Amino acid sequence: MLTHFAWMTASGQLIAASSSDEGSRGFGLVFLLSGFIFYAAIYLRYRNVDKRHKHESETESAMFNMQETNDFVVSKTGLTNSKIAGANNNVVRGARRKFF
Amino acid sequence: MPTDDVEPEAQPATSTEDAPNVFRTDDGAQDGLAKCARCGATEISLNVATGNLRCGFCRFEWATDNAIEAFNLNGDISKLSGILVGSGSSDIVPSTEEILTFKCSACGAEVVIDTNNSTQARCHWCRNTLSMNQQVPNGAVPDMILPFTVEKSTAVEKIASFVGKRKFFAHPKFRAEFNAENVMGVYLPYMVVDINAHARMTGEGEHQTRSYTVKVGDKQEQRYDADLFNVVREFDIQVNDLTVESSSDRLDQNTSQNSNNIINTIMPFDVENSVRYDSNYLAGFTSERRDSNLDQLSPIAHTQAEDITRHRVNDSLAFYDRGVRWTAEEVDVRGQRWVSAYLPVWLYSYQQRNSSGKTFLHYVAVNARTGETMGSVPLHQSKLLLVAGVVQLVGTVIGLVLVAVGI
Repeated sequence: MLTHFAWMTASGQLIAASSSDEGSRGFGLVFLLSGFIFYAAIYLRYRNVDKRHKHESETESAMFNMQETNDFVVSKTGLTNSKIAGANNNVVRGARRKFF
Repeated sequence: MPTDDVEPEAQPATSTEDAPNVFRTDDGAQDGLAKCARCGATEISLNVATGNLRCGFCRFEWATDNAIEAFNLNGDISKLSGILVGSGSSDIVPSTEEILTFKCSACGAEVVIDTNNSTQARCHWCRNTLSMNQQVPNGAVPDMILPFTVEKSTAVEKIASFVGKRKFFAHPKFRAEFNAENVMGVYLPYMVVDINAHARMTGEGEHQTRSYTVKVGDKQEQRYDADLFNVVREFDIQVNDLTVESSSDRLDQNTSQNSNNIINTIMPFDVENSVRYDSNYLAGFTSERRDSNLDQLSPIAHTQAEDITRHRVNDSLAFYDRGVRWTAEEVDVRGQRWVSAYLPVWLYSYQQRNSSGKTFLHYVAVNARTGETMGSVPLHQSKLLLVAGVVQLVGTVIGLVLVAVGI
């Protein structure tokens, strides 16, 4: 059941991504997966398998003696992605919740 | 092997770099009769409304010392070096029995305490309550305890409200059997960690300088210009009261196997209001014994501390609106302080048994300090699939029409 659910969630994300890439045409595609999206939404609301303590932001912490270096390297043009490739400054590795 | 008049083994402080320095958190603690200072009764329990202990006979109330002040746990984290642990957080000795025999300090009878479930028992001869407050190396007595302050009636309301909003697709058997009054107060074991670390992070960040659309064939596509920077951040970081489950049952948070993530979700607790451990706080509640040691919990705590560091440093990266790609993260933990704690949770549990005979335990949990509520409600799969099918059918028709007209 969970694999089925994971597939549906992934599909939902895929469609959401495609809808943003292809503009308004994706709106119709979202409707084509509405049953799967509905199932996923209800599953999450009832079972809350995606919930966890957000230790990375909810734990008190303080930084001191900050030393910053920012060296310009190059200007890039015509990039197709809105984010840097391989951005990892928001990743969480210590969550023990195994969702998929 | 049962032991009379349990004497905690003295744990010498060590000074080698890797071995933890142990500070005693049960100095002055006594096993046996804990009497009301005013009338001498041993019928003592927690008054949830005030968070104080209350004598069941004369209604005298008092509070145990605040653990943070008593053990100087709010001392400067930047001065932490090496590993410092409370004596209640020391390694569990595998041979230590869970059943302990006390000699009743009132009448001399022998009374058995099963430390798996409680650290209190009643003398079957003189009816006095006997408490175990001294630490034996089996994880039963923590360094500190955070008393319940959310009353059962409030927890019942919160659980009823949570489930009430999720009734339509709930399993019919669950709906029939659900009774929020069946909530239980449980003290769950956690480790509370302070960490003093030095971090150096190296990577690349991008700052967007322009956003525009270009025509590709007959479509419009978005393009971006950005400046790339080499980014380095070096700093000291202090993590305060990082809380980690210390029972192996709760540590397992595989959501296809259990719903322990529900209990994890209701963190954080205001652990700064914890008091020195006193078994009387457990009267009327159940508790779970710690069964994980520092070496099992350190990797989790350190990985979580790295997560905190990574997210905290984002405060200095606002310029990099396209994000940062760290290529090297060095978090050097210079000092850490561990104390074990019992933290209070109101738990409604429901064992779901499916047609194949497999069972799955669902929880609705309420943080008994903050009132934060989270739960897992068993689903009526066939009903959900049926409604999802109808939604899919209608959505498919609408979707095909929209695609046909090019929307």
